[in-house]
Amino acid sequence: MAEKKVSVWSDNRFWQRSATWVTGFASLLLIWLTFDTMGQITMGNQKDINNHITKRVPSATVINYKVEYKMNQRRGHEVPVIGGDDGKGDSLFKVKENFFGRDNYSQKEADALLHLGKLASQAKNCMDCHTLLGNGAYYAPDLTKAWLDPAWQKGGTMQAMTGKSTKEEAMAEFLQNPGKYPTHARMMPNLGITQKEAVGLVAFLKHMATIDTNGFPRGFGKIKEGVVYARSK
Amino acid sequence: MFEAFTDVNHSFFGLLNQGPLTLTIFLHTVIVLPMFWIYFQEKKRLQNKR
Repeated sequence: MAEKKVSVWSDNRFWQRSATWVTGFASLLLIWLTFDTMGQITMGNQKDINNHITKRVPSATVINYKVEYKMNQRRGHEVPVIGGDDGKGDSLFKVKENFFGRDNYSQKEADALLHLGKLASQAKNCMDCHTLLGNGAYYAPDLTKAWLDPAWQKGGTMQAMTGKSTKEEAMAEFLQNPGKYPTHARMMPNLGITQKEAVGLVAFLKHMATIDTNGFPRGFGKIKEGVVYARSK
Repeated sequence: MFEAFTDVNHSFFGLLNQGPLTLTIFLHTVIVLPMFWIYFQEKKRLQNKR
C-alpha cells in the first residue's frame, strides 16, 4: 500500500511537542549552568591558600602575597601566579609581599578591605570609563589586571610621577588626586576618593588581578610600558 | 581534535567550549536531533489516523 501523504509541518502536535522539548531542555540546561557557574565563581579562603589549592577566584588574603602574571605553557596563556612560581607555572603561595606595610592581613581584615573597595568602585562608578572583568567601558584603561601593569611597578612611570616607592602607595595616591598626574589625554577626573577608600580600591584591584580569567584580556603581559605605550603603537 | 583540558576548574561546559563554536554546535545538535524523532513519530501517527 502506498504511503499516505500527510503534512507534519502543518500539524499542531508536532510543533507543540517540539516547543515543549526545546523549552524543557533549555530550562534544565540553564539550571545546570547556574550550578556549574557557582563552582567556578565561589571565592576561596585562606585554607585553600594554605593547602596550595588554586581557585579561579582566590581568597581576599592574596593581598598578603606577591602576585605575578606569567605565561603558562600548558594552558597557552598568561595566568596569575600567587606567592611565587612552583617551576611549572602554577602558584606556590609562599612568597609574601607587603601591602601598605603589612603582609599579615587576616581573613576578616582582607574581606573587609575588599568589600570597602568593591563598594567604592560601585559608588564612584569606575565602570563608567573602565572595564572590570569584561564589564564596563573602554574609555579608560582596562582595570582587570591593572595591579600587574608595569607602569605601577618599581621603575615604572607611575611610581616616579607620584613620588611613592611601592605599587599600592602609588596607586592610592593617584586615586586620591588623579587630576594632579597627567597620565593620558583623557585624564581621570577627581572623584573625591578618600584615603581609606583608596586603600580598599587598591586591595580590590590587587585581588582582581589574581582572578584566573583564562588569559583575558589577551596579550596583557606583552604590554611593556603600560597603557600609554599600548595606545601609541 | 581533542586537546587536554587545562582550565583551573573542571567543568563539562568548559570541556566543550575549547574550540570555536564547539559548545554551540554540540548544544544545537543535542536539541535538534530529538526533533527528527518527534517528526517521524508524528508522521507515523498522522499516517495511521483515519
